[in-house]
Amino acid sequence: MIHGFIPASNEPSAVLARVYDSDERTQAGAGDDGVYRENEEGRTAMKLIITDIEDFRIPVEGTYEIIKPQGEIHPCIGCFGCWVKTPGKCVIRDGYENTGIQMSRCTELIFVSRCCYGSFSPFVKTVQDRAISYLHPDFVLRKGEMHHKRRYQNRIALSAYFYGEDITDTEKETAQKLMEANADNYDGTVKQISFYTDARELEDMTL
Amino acid sequence: MKIALINGSPKMQRSASATLLEELQLSISETAEVTETALHTSDISEDVWEKLKSADVWVFSYPLYVDGIPGHLLSCLMQLEKEKWQEKEIRVYGIVNCGFYEGIQAEFALTLLKNWCEKCGFLYAGGIGVGGGGGLAQMPKVQGGHGPRAPIEKALQAMAVSILQQKTQENRYVSVAFPRFLYRMAAQTGWRRWIKANGGKAKDLGKKPE
Repeated sequence: MIHGFIPASNEPSAVLARVYDSDERTQAGAGDDGVYRENEEGRTAMKLIITDIEDFRIPVEGTYEIIKPQGEIHPCIGCFGCWVKTPGKCVIRDGYENTGIQMSRCTELIFVSRCCYGSFSPFVKTVQDRAISYLHPDFVLRKGEMHHKRRYQNRIALSAYFYGEDITDTEKETAQKLMEANADNYDGTVKQISFYTDARELEDMTL
Repeated sequence: MKIALINGSPKMQRSASATLLEELQLSISETAEVTETALHTSDISEDVWEKLKSADVWVFSYPLYVDGIPGHLLSCLMQLEKEKWQEKEIRVYGIVNCGFYEGIQAEFALTLLKNWCEKCGFLYAGGIGVGGGGGLAQMPKVQGGHGPRAPIEKALQAMAVSILQQKTQENRYVSVAFPRFLYRMAAQTGWRRWIKANGGKAKDLGKKPE
């Protein structure tokens, strides 16, 4: 059941069907017409999905990459190695070190996560924490506040599909504000935020 | 009244979160019993459980990670939520430090703590959002209410009063007493020194791996 919705403002222009898993390609191919298309910026439209659902069965339209639980994830330790040792890449080698690079390739970043107090779940949040290398360590002023400079030029549209049995109205409000804050930090936009009582409800839709 | 000071930074040492708790402790340890503990990882040790169960007031100090609570600490909060605390009246305070200059950027990380309190049946008693936390652990402490840390020390002293008087306070947002452009300049100089110390060049900061 959808409890909140922000209308789409930046629909991805490409309709492709090249599908990757984070480690292995699970399906491959072009769109129905066999053609890969590029968006307005000349980049192939790609969706990056970050989810805590191991058995992810939600259909996705177009090209996408997915990061889901596949082995233990180590939390960010605040070492800034991804800025000053291996710029652009996390120094912890556990299979989740490339999220920042994957973000640089995407046009849409889709979170599918349990809602925890208005935040993503610990797994999804840890993936996000480990990806600050998507940004440059230097600062810029944006909307009157300090934020990090862009490392890459792609502009990301953020979507979040939160699920959970007892998400309160306050948590929904917090989640919405957090997504807007994330968009400011990534210098992107918020495309959609929606809430469901059960993750299985999402299997009836297409991301 | 027993107060648990909980360091929620993933850093084992020299963290801004620890520095802020040390400053708070100066104002409360003479009049209240204090127990120091930490949640550096996703695992909550038996020792931490025992310390938390023995305390009436919990003060969390943690860094801002992408507008919110670090993933490991979020995991700890979920584990704490599952425990049965119904018989305890726990007051929770939060101190969030961020590398950005504006303390207000920590607002949602405090809101998340408040939302967690509501789920657990705890009383959220207020917090502080600290801007300019990047260099806090290295900043000199100046006596007499002066120096770059002064506004933060003042906010911590006010929180200490709230804790000792068992009062709830509004969230307060503070920054280091240091012009924003100088803070930005100092941080960016620091990144360049740091990458050079690691054998890289300043321009490597902008590498774009694909």
